[in-house]
Amino acid sequence: MRIVVAYKWACDPQEATVDAGGTVDWSRAKPGLSAYDPVAIELARQFAEAAGAELIGVTAGGKGVAAPIASKAALGRGLDRVVIVEDESLAGAGRSELAAVLAEVIRHIGDVDLIVTGDSSVDVAAKMVPTLLAGELGWPAVAEVTSVTGQAGTLHVERAIPGGAQVLEISGPVVLAASADAAPPRVPGMKELLAAGKKPVEVLDLVTLKVSPRSAVMTVTGRSRPERKAREGRLIDAADPIKAAAELVTVLRQAGAL
Amino acid sequence: MSVNAWIVVGDQPTVGNLITVARSLGGPVGAVVAGPRAVAETVARSGVDKVVWCSAPDDVPAEASAPAVADTIAADPPRVVLAGRNPGERVLLGAVAARLKAAVLTGARSVTIDGDEVVVVNAVFGDIAEETVAVSGPVALLLDGGSVPLADGTEPPMEEVSAPPLGLKIIETRTHGFDEVDLGAAERVIGVGRGLKAKEDLDLIEELARAVGAEIACSRPVAEGLNWMGKDRYIGSSGAHISPRLYVAIGVSGQLQHMVGVTGAETIVAINTDPNAAVFTQTDYGLVGDLYQLVPAITAALK
Repeated sequence: MRIVVAYKWACDPQEATVDAGGTVDWSRAKPGLSAYDPVAIELARQFAEAAGAELIGVTAGGKGVAAPIASKAALGRGLDRVVIVEDESLAGAGRSELAAVLAEVIRHIGDVDLIVTGDSSVDVAAKMVPTLLAGELGWPAVAEVTSVTGQAGTLHVERAIPGGAQVLEISGPVVLAASADAAPPRVPGMKELLAAGKKPVEVLDLVTLKVSPRSAVMTVTGRSRPERKAREGRLIDAADPIKAAAELVTVLRQAGAL
Repeated sequence: MSVNAWIVVGDQPTVGNLITVARSLGGPVGAVVAGPRAVAETVARSGVDKVVWCSAPDDVPAEASAPAVADTIAADPPRVVLAGRNPGERVLLGAVAARLKAAVLTGARSVTIDGDEVVVVNAVFGDIAEETVAVSGPVALLLDGGSVPLADGTEPPMEEVSAPPLGLKIIETRTHGFDEVDLGAAERVIGVGRGLKAKEDLDLIEELARAVGAEIACSRPVAEGLNWMGKDRYIGSSGAHISPRLYVAIGVSGQLQHMVGVTGAETIVAINTDPNAAVFTQTDYGLVGDLYQLVPAITAALK
């Protein structure tokens, strides 16, 4: 049985700046393993250990995704090996392109029974790549997954739904997006990071993957920084809580907020 | 009749906004429903021009009909496909977009048709910037679904498709006991962050909420990880986006991922012990102090 975790090497928008013209500057942001991907790796690793499966990490992106620091960050969390597509043209690629590339990587690996992803990426946060990847492969996808048990061919998958939880029986290959709290991720220690440096890293050439072109062409014709409502930014002295509370209630009544 | 815009519907008929946006583009609007028959019937009465219902047994989730939904739409390819922001519809939209090799945008502020192009003003990277994108070719949009649409007096015939679903079966459903909430409809919202020390302390917040007339919400770690509330109560880039008259952030640090969910609030108040907390740069009224003293004091002042 082969299990794949699709992960992303990405920057946190919290560290980006946006100029008045709407251009996003990432130069001060430091890329890392995307926030919820360690959860996906941990969930997949626990299941892979129970099922005796091989656990493979895959990712695609621009320059840097195949750098040792990036592959070790993923491998140190317990993947057996990684398969990476690094190509300048994939920097900031649309999710549709990214999913199509990942689908070709899955076909290249072959005999994959299960793909696990994080809840969402730290930079784009759209939760669409797992569903597009499933669409490319003709597989089902299920999101908000909190646990996986069973074996290749028949999985029992628990997912969060509004107001509760649901257990699904799934036959055949599937893409599962882990919920953000599916499994507490472990922080790799020195031993895991040293071992990660010795694990196989396969870097694929985008050209040899023969990804079919998209039907849609997107052109960015304008950028802007969203106008935020100007805030009062007034600090109320809270040394005396009772006085502060009275003042707050007064200003909120004046503002029509109560 | 060929369709200009398709709406993808899962197991809830909360698609009023999708219908409004699809209608605004002009041309016929179709809906394909992968959910119970009653959902398809509600959508059929809402003023769409065409409805296809992908029927499946009751114990099969909407996601299993993804290939049937993709086949239906690929047979009558539109310029725009729309779906709501929930896990089931994301999966259906992903299947359709992959089939059409469409562009996928998830932060649309406005959508217009300009000649051969679909022009979308799209928020990116947790709403820190907006791009105007001109797309030639099919576009898949993930939007807020909106409320259940009202019947408009017309009802096109419903076409039924019964394609074999993918191998998914619901074998158990459990409720977790949290009350469900529609934060978007609340006039006032109190958001709780990790500054609250224990779940029992939510009693303090509930008393304030009753005095203010507010719903209680939270930052993501309070709903996921701490699990003190249902996931429908967390606010932020991947959670709820709300525009209430008043938002009170209590013990919330003010991370971008949380604050983008409340930029539409009329008035924002923050209570935090840390005078340097990022939240204070984004609020109207800030109180630097201990929430355990300030919250009861505000509750008392309102009475």
